[in-house]
Amino acid sequence: MKWRKRNDDLDEEIRAHLAMAARDRVERGESPADAAFNARREFGNEALVKEITREMWGWTAIQRFYQDVRYALRQMRRSPGFTAVAVLTLALGLGAATAMFSIVNGVLLRPLEYHDPGRLFVARTVLPPEARIAHDFPINARHFAEWRAHCRSCESVSLIQMADLTLVGAGEPVKLYALKTSWNFFQTLGVHPVLGRDFLPGEERGLGQVILSDSLWRSRFRADPSILGRAIQLNGEPHTVIGVMPRSLVLPRGDQWGSLFGPAEEPLIFEPLGFDPSQLRANNLNYTSVIRLKPGVSRGQASAELNALLADFVRQDHLQTKIALFPLLEQVTRNARTSLLLLLGAVGAVLLIVCVNVGNLMLVQTAGRYREAGVRLALGASRTRLFGQMLKEALVLVAMGGTLGLLLAYAGLKLFAAAAPIDLPRLEEAHIDWHVLAFGLASAAFSTFTCGLVPAWNLSRTEPLDSLKASAGATESGHKLRFREILVGLEVALSTVLLSVGGLLLLSFVKVMHVDKGFETERVVTQDISFLSPKYAHGGRARVLRLMLEQLARIPGVRAVGATSRLPLTGEDWIANLHDPDSSRPERDEPLANFRFVTPDYWRAMGIPLVRGRFFRENEWSQQVAIVSEGAARFLWPGQDPIGRHVRGLGGAGPAFDVVGVVGEVPAGPLDQNRPTMVYTPYSFESPVGVSLVLRTAGDPDSAIRAARAMLAQIDPEMALPPAQTMEQILDASVAARRFEMRLAVAFALAALLLAGLGICGVISFAVARRRPEIGIRIAMGAQSGQVIAMVLRQGMRPVLPGLLAGVAGAMASSRLLTGELYQVAPRDPRLILGVAAVMLSTALVACWLPARRGAATDPIAALRAE
Amino acid sequence: MSRIELVQGTLDMLILETLRWGAQHGYGIAQAIRAGSSDVLQVETGSLYPALHRLERQRFIKAEWKQSENRQRAKYYSLTAAGRKHLAAERERWSQVSAAIAALMKARESEA
Repeated sequence: MKWRKRNDDLDEEIRAHLAMAARDRVERGESPADAAFNARREFGNEALVKEITREMWGWTAIQRFYQDVRYALRQMRRSPGFTAVAVLTLALGLGAATAMFSIVNGVLLRPLEYHDPGRLFVARTVLPPEARIAHDFPINARHFAEWRAHCRSCESVSLIQMADLTLVGAGEPVKLYALKTSWNFFQTLGVHPVLGRDFLPGEERGLGQVILSDSLWRSRFRADPSILGRAIQLNGEPHTVIGVMPRSLVLPRGDQWGSLFGPAEEPLIFEPLGFDPSQLRANNLNYTSVIRLKPGVSRGQASAELNALLADFVRQDHLQTKIALFPLLEQVTRNARTSLLLLLGAVGAVLLIVCVNVGNLMLVQTAGRYREAGVRLALGASRTRLFGQMLKEALVLVAMGGTLGLLLAYAGLKLFAAAAPIDLPRLEEAHIDWHVLAFGLASAAFSTFTCGLVPAWNLSRTEPLDSLKASAGATESGHKLRFREILVGLEVALSTVLLSVGGLLLLSFVKVMHVDKGFETERVVTQDISFLSPKYAHGGRARVLRLMLEQLARIPGVRAVGATSRLPLTGEDWIANLHDPDSSRPERDEPLANFRFVTPDYWRAMGIPLVRGRFFRENEWSQQVAIVSEGAARFLWPGQDPIGRHVRGLGGAGPAFDVVGVVGEVPAGPLDQNRPTMVYTPYSFESPVGVSLVLRTAGDPDSAIRAARAMLAQIDPEMALPPAQTMEQILDASVAARRFEMRLAVAFALAALLLAGLGICGVISFAVARRRPEIGIRIAMGAQSGQVIAMVLRQGMRPVLPGLLAGVAGAMASSRLLTGELYQVAPRDPRLILGVAAVMLSTALVACWLPARRGAATDPIAALRAE
Repeated sequence: MSRIELVQGTLDMLILETLRWGAQHGYGIAQAIRAGSSDVLQVETGSLYPALHRLERQRFIKAEWKQSENRQRAKYYSLTAAGRKHLAAERERWSQVSAAIAALMKARESEA
């Protein structure tokens, strides 16, 4: 309202000026018509005077913004095709970038929701490099006892261990993962039960108190608050519920605590961890310690003190171990870090390509408006005004694309959470918060500038006279074309880098999938069982297991049945020194080996090949026999016959085992990791509680496993039976993270390729359209269509080649960052780079050829008539 | 004789100076400056009107609509108290600057 009034005032003020000037001229003797004309001429550019006068009012900026936005919307309505393409690609680019960032934000950047998480560390044992298994290990419980008693840098030292339990009585019997904790674990993290109380110092001696997780409390006890003080049956023994943890408690899972922690399952129940120090063996590294440092104590100081406290043990045990502290947050995210940052980089590159493409489209779009710009400049519009207006057109596009993109990001996040492999840590913590919104806004601002800058600059540099003189079909000036070529080159370069990243990950994945696994996955199905109930005394388990295997072997279609303490691909476990009692090798030079406790038919069921000697016999369930992996045999007895040699069992104590056979290597953990040396001994020597049954079937494993489960339920109705898994499913799960990363990277690379192709095609189509009269003349003069196509291709490919070279250089430079993600693929594999270059080139050629062919089909008469 | 275009600060001062003799409209101010300088100083409307609106915003002048002697409705500007003070300060600065420039030019002249 006020604006309009002031505008009217200004109009009247200037009308009065002109009227008075004219009157003076009439008084001086000019004719009224001349006077009016001269007054106007003397006044100058009326519109421009008004414009810059209005600027003095101070709030024109807002007004102008509003005007420009309305103008931009009008422009967009005039070319809905362009608008749709620009908004959609921007939405996809911004949406993908925002979704990816919110994941990085949730997984990597947001601090753990514990009290002052910067002071929380995980203590790990680091072995000398000869150990060759993993970088770091759990700790010994004696370490913990020592630290808790004496560590002065620590505010609180806690200890945890994963365990499984069977819950009976609340619905079907179910196997649960439990976290055994020292009484102060939750206190160390700074979290408190939402119901009931935490453990007390005296409760470490196994008095049967447990704390429930929120999800167990809801799923099994209908969130009943009166659960406190009630007894529940765990492993056949009553336990009293003393507390329930809050829903917001998110704990790291499995390997996120460090290697060899246990399966990546959510612990549903917490029980006190009590241990009898006298039973602990020196090289039993089974526990994880979470330590809260005192304020102001550095990580270096603390680890020095922890190591000093252990000096005596280390001397006694002849183990050259060291303790290292890892920040809890880093520990939780270390596996996902490279992968996520890589994907974020890729999505950023895609966004950049999107912006370049939209910028290019806008350039094409504005090319038809130079005349308009010229007219406006001639009428007094300022160049900054034109520049700002063009930027605002970009802003409107980005705002629309961004809004749509945010919705896409929201949906994408849900999709990502559903598709992501389970071991992506803290994924449930990814959501759209203000960090993410800030990131989205920043990328939108960035997009606005990258899209709008070049067109805005171009338009505002228009020379009014030239633009008015030039006919619509005239060729553009050189520098405007050059701009576009640079943009195309940039797109090609970025796409090449993304293609090579995607290609490397794809090749790695193929290599991993084609690696000789060392066992068979087809028609092999597994069923986990656990002898948790107290009725299975240590000695009784082997007998029951043997009975089960005999029954299962009778099921029609079952070729072989075996059992093992741990399946391949599911992680390292039961690790100890590999000791040959007949050799004088010092203990510290002994390699670590994974021990497996198996039944005689295990290898046949799993399809692990026998290399030398024989398998266990049916009468050897409790004989002192061992089978070693090829690697173990090579290490202990290089060039000699391993059969008839001896190894010491788990922990180095007890009698020696006769080596009766050598079998092939199998991966303990992920397929792409080194295969540890492995020693197999009969089940009875350790009689582990958790056992995986392995069934090889003749045909469809489905019916066999159904029959098997029914039979197992008949043998022990109280035994919890988690879902059976085929080895194919286990294999699938073990490569899920790699596959997921590869798929995303390849998707981003293909998106980049497509966008670059569209960009090239758009630019060349436009160039051909502008040159149509010229092409018409050439054809009229006798040019063959091949010549025309060649001409267009030459022009189109000109920016592609330098872009490709830059992209190859970029790919070479960035490949080093990828090394950790690759498997048996050289980061600079020349064949891959050639392949990527070929894909890029052929895409560019097709993108140029389509408009070139249209150009060659120009009807010379029509083209010239249009002029 | 060539006409000289005025720079912003000087124009502001001349506008305030012109208004010292009474309220005036934009056209009148331009005429007064031109006449007062014997046609040497030229005021472009593209400078005059922005300057007037700027000074009004700075509250050195105020405006009201009045009838001219020729019954033409026009926007008349007049000095405010702040404007008078500003003018005095500007005048002081101007005389210092012009004296300094004059001295400088004289020195150059005698050297040459």
